[in-house]
Amino acid sequence: MIGWITDPFGEPIVLRGAVELVLLGVLSGGLGCWIVLSGVSSTAESLSHGMLPGLVGAALLGIPLLLGGAVGLVVAAVAIALVQRSPLTPDVATSVVITGLLGAGVLLGLSPSAPAGLGSLLFGDLLGVSDLDLALAAALGVVVTLLLFLLHPTLLLTGFDRLNATALGRSPARLDLVLAVLLALATLVAVQALGTLLVVAMLVGPAATARLVSRRVAPMMLLAVAIAVVASVAGLAASYHANLAAGACVVLALAAAFCMTLAGRGIAHVVLARSAA
Amino acid sequence: MPGALDLPFFRDGVAEVLLLSVAAGVLGTWVVLRGLAFLSHAVGTATFPGLVLADGLGFSAVLGALGAAVLVAGLMGALAGRRRTGPDSIIALVLAAALAAGIVLASDVFDSGASIDRLLFGSLLLIDAADLRFAAFAALAALAGSLLLGPRWLADGFAGRGLGPAARDVVLVLLIAFVTVASLAAVGALLATVLLVVPAATTRLLTARMRTWQLSTIVLAALEGVGGMWLAFEADVPPGAAIAVIAVGVFILAALLRAAVARRPRGLATAALAVLGALLLAGCGATAQSDGRPLVVATTTQLADIAAAIGEPDVAVHSILRRNSDAHEYEPRPSDVRAVAGAEAVLISGLGFDAWAGEIVKASGTNAPVINAGAAATAGAGADMQDPHWWLDPAAGLRATEAVEAALIRAAPGARAAISARASAYRARLSRLDAAIRECIARVPARERRIVTDHDALGRFTRRYGIDVVGVVMPAAVSRAQASAGDLATLEREIRRAGVRVVFPEAGLSSSVAQRIAVDSDAAVGDALHADALGPEGSRSGTYLGMLAANADALARGMSAGGVSCEVDA
Repeated sequence: MIGWITDPFGEPIVLRGAVELVLLGVLSGGLGCWIVLSGVSSTAESLSHGMLPGLVGAALLGIPLLLGGAVGLVVAAVAIALVQRSPLTPDVATSVVITGLLGAGVLLGLSPSAPAGLGSLLFGDLLGVSDLDLALAAALGVVVTLLLFLLHPTLLLTGFDRLNATALGRSPARLDLVLAVLLALATLVAVQALGTLLVVAMLVGPAATARLVSRRVAPMMLLAVAIAVVASVAGLAASYHANLAAGACVVLALAAAFCMTLAGRGIAHVVLARSAA
Repeated sequence: MPGALDLPFFRDGVAEVLLLSVAAGVLGTWVVLRGLAFLSHAVGTATFPGLVLADGLGFSAVLGALGAAVLVAGLMGALAGRRRTGPDSIIALVLAAALAAGIVLASDVFDSGASIDRLLFGSLLLIDAADLRFAAFAALAALAGSLLLGPRWLADGFAGRGLGPAARDVVLVLLIAFVTVASLAAVGALLATVLLVVPAATTRLLTARMRTWQLSTIVLAALEGVGGMWLAFEADVPPGAAIAVIAVGVFILAALLRAAVARRPRGLATAALAVLGALLLAGCGATAQSDGRPLVVATTTQLADIAAAIGEPDVAVHSILRRNSDAHEYEPRPSDVRAVAGAEAVLISGLGFDAWAGEIVKASGTNAPVINAGAAATAGAGADMQDPHWWLDPAAGLRATEAVEAALIRAAPGARAAISARASAYRARLSRLDAAIRECIARVPARERRIVTDHDALGRFTRRYGIDVVGVVMPAAVSRAQASAGDLATLEREIRRAGVRVVFPEAGLSSSVAQRIAVDSDAAVGDALHADALGPEGSRSGTYLGMLAANADALARGMSAGGVSCEVDA
């Protein structure tokens, strides 16, 4: 049993993937809780699609793709924030912006000088992470954790009582912007290594799982980090032993953690109701 | 646009977009009212595992997509009623899990599947009668559902109720799944929201009355769809992207109008409109010109290069795929279908590499002969029919030139002598190149002729010249396929054990995993090999012969650590 768990990490390529997963688990567990609590999971999922025109534009102009992706994400985040003022629900507003950006990205990508395979830039590969990816994930993990720690009281106040937060001198709009920028940064760094798919599962899955069992925010964040790290590394070990696609295994492990928690909670409710009766 | 309407594929595309605008216009208002845009996007994207299953087990793609969409939508609807986690989080999680299941199926269960990615990018240029029937049925279902259940949905919308297990909500979610799948064939998975969400969101800015809202949404979706078809035709871009840009442009106009009425600042919105206009112009391309010579269309760049070398200047050659592009992410443009419609001969690569070519030929309504170069190239080979990269084996390439020559002579009978002369000269060059590559690779000691490649694409080339491919990095031809941790760990051990010196990435594909493996196992990273498409014009790998020579040189230098290079004359 111990061997089953430790064996895979003797392989350099698996160990490196595991390090990336731990870094991203720490980064996204805490951030994910605020994403789930403020109901912006759809923005988190869609934002990476908005990178496409930025990536294509950067490739056409010959500037680094990372920079183009960053500009694309900022444009997407600002546009999403702008349409939120309309009478539409947030997910409809997000959807309009992303549709426009995707369409523009496809049109730009048709130019004869656009390099091939830009679409596949959105599908990273966990086992191909570079030193730069690891360093970026670590740096961003520190920044995000620090910001979440410093802003915690404000986030808490605004999250639960938006109207009075304004009265108390806090600015919900500015806070939304900070969250959006953090989300954009996390997407930018994680998409290159992990792809759209794993990013959203990592951001939303552990936080949603922790939300099932915790009512208080700080324990929920710690729990989400623990779930993200343990479940994703277990998924990687499963990919090693069963010879299945690595990123997909991590996502399925995160989804399994949610399902098991949901089932466990249901059983606990039934047992408690029985013993009470 | 009198010219466009004469073309059958354009008429079918317009009919499809009109039917879909009825379905999406009616249902879109409910999607916007109930805040289900993310669900619609997720259902479209989550059809991926269904498409993989359909491709692997050989049943209809629409059936696979519909099954996956209904299953995923049902799961999302059933779980989304839970207040605590919020519907969006559940939908995101189900979407990720469905895509992950699709990736496992595509990477580890089924072998081929090169045509799956294409199904996620639909096209209004390739509509057939079945698509039209499906869209008409979706329109009827959406109308019927809206008439029967509309008042209940409206009450739920005003009450701000989320989705629940009630029958009316189940019907709503199923209708969304149905209409989304119907629009897959037209605009693809990523742009499924272009008809379902954007028009309804636009009209919502200007009206609040339900009946007016629904009618104006249908009209707007129809106008945007037909406008997108027209723009696609004039500017030669894919219709789905054109509709998306027009629809969002109209949305911004509507927002401006609203802001003008409410006297709000509008500098930003004007700037956004200007940016959109600029993007629109930037995407415009050129159309095919045949200038009176017989036109021959080839699907791949290497086939077009062979045809041009043999046929020009007596015929004009149009290549459907573009240089340096990814054959798996191809989206047809109007000029491609128009070129096929006016072609005297259509050359396809065959063996499943360009399975979409059949649809283009059908949509164009052409009677021109379709020549399967791959089948001609591998005739009599028998055993290795599976590998579609026939052009990487010069012997197969020689056989293909004969089929191309015959097709060109039929297209331009007056130039028979000139075409035959050029074909013979070309075959002589190809044979010389083949001998030169063989001689050059043989200079690398046999025990050093061991490599690892990115995809399993170089098999025909390496077998011919006695190179041992110890392993490949990526398991399948689908761009979403992923390697497993176990396979890559085994590959690294194998590289060290067999003493492989070099790992070769592939041009046009991400090389991050190949590089990682090379670093881990003390191997070098070779120059990128060209397998699926030619390099940019004027570059060394810009012609078919140049591509073979460049691959040979990269392989020889990589395997011998720079000791042997192949300066063979292409």
